[in-house]
Amino acid sequence: MTQAKSQKHNGEVWDLLHDFLRRFMPVSDSEFQAWKPYFELRTFDKKQVVTALGEQEEYVNIVARGMARKYVKLNNGEVTMQIAPEGHMIHAECSFHHREPAALVVETIEPTIFISIHYDNLQRLYDAFPRTEQLGRLFVTEMFIIKDRRYFELLKKSTREIFLDYMSAHPHMLQRVPQKYLASYLNIKPETFSRLKHLLRRKKVS
Amino acid sequence: MEAVLRQFLDPHIQLSNEEMSAMVARMEVRHFPRRTMLIREGEQEKYLSLVAKGLLRKFFYKGKQEVITQLAGEGALISSSVSFFAGNPSQYYIETLEPVTLFSLSREALEDLYAKSHKMQRMGRLIITELYLDKERWEQHHICYDVKTRFMKFIHQHPDLLKRVPQKYLASYLNIKPETFSRLKHHLKPKPEVLV
Repeated sequence: MTQAKSQKHNGEVWDLLHDFLRRFMPVSDSEFQAWKPYFELRTFDKKQVVTALGEQEEYVNIVARGMARKYVKLNNGEVTMQIAPEGHMIHAECSFHHREPAALVVETIEPTIFISIHYDNLQRLYDAFPRTEQLGRLFVTEMFIIKDRRYFELLKKSTREIFLDYMSAHPHMLQRVPQKYLASYLNIKPETFSRLKHLLRRKKVS
Repeated sequence: MEAVLRQFLDPHIQLSNEEMSAMVARMEVRHFPRRTMLIREGEQEKYLSLVAKGLLRKFFYKGKQEVITQLAGEGALISSSVSFFAGNPSQYYIETLEPVTLFSLSREALEDLYAKSHKMQRMGRLIITELYLDKERWEQHHICYDVKTRFMKFIHQHPDLLKRVPQKYLASYLNIKPETFSRLKHHLKPKPEVLV
């Protein structure tokens, strides 16, 4: 990539961060320019480990380009807990907030650019700009609501409903994400997942 | 009330005496007899409450079956929290299992406290972060441990709840079939030293 192109590209990525923050409260251009130096861009190839098992999580990451997932390793395989496309936040939360080794793995699915903030920089940002404290609170509140909703739906809905609702809300995911990750994330057996996919095709025709 | 509040807040943040008084002034003390339904599906949650005394359960209906997602004893926060924070109708029911005393903040009181001080904003952020991490840990727990390990860990961490909570509620909360729960409980009896 030429330098001019790369700068334009980066400019778009920073706009994305500004838009992301504005979802929670008004953020003026001058405010954003003051906060921006606390963030950094991090680039990863596809299927690259971002945070390894046992490592301490140092970052909050927002996906600017690409896609990442978070999973737990078990003796007999792994369970995907989160799949994060553009505009979503992903990191090892417990490790980050409690400063302890990560009990799970964060890994990219596609080549990915993250807008990241380091733990130390986040604390400095909170101290230097009191308004970011409110932003942080609103951000965590939204994460909490999203998480609550996911568990509620996984517990309340039937497998078929979980599958159909997810696919209609995220139609592009089936093309972008390996099927076994999606099945694991939705807590559906791979065989059942394949069977349900036929249902989707039939539905499209009608 | 202040002592109970301090015990809850100390791991998160140190409030000055003025900040503490401002908070105490806005808190409502609420008492309920056992088996009182505090909120039903479709209602709006008005409070975020700290349990000062007693025990409650939070649940929803999957068809006709109750699914318990929280058992809240002394020192826990209880609220239909998504309804409280987002303002939508509650998807959950909350019922007292024992006579209960709650220290409750309304949304309005909380917003006033936030507006008053930057430190209150921080307190809010840190407490909501913990609520969020609780959910994260709960999911990891369910993925990583089998039924027996989940049961043993729970009994080890909350030995009192085995006596205080009806067995079918504990089984529902741990997502264990009632028959399996009884079987696991029998395993406990011959080896009480496991609990120590």
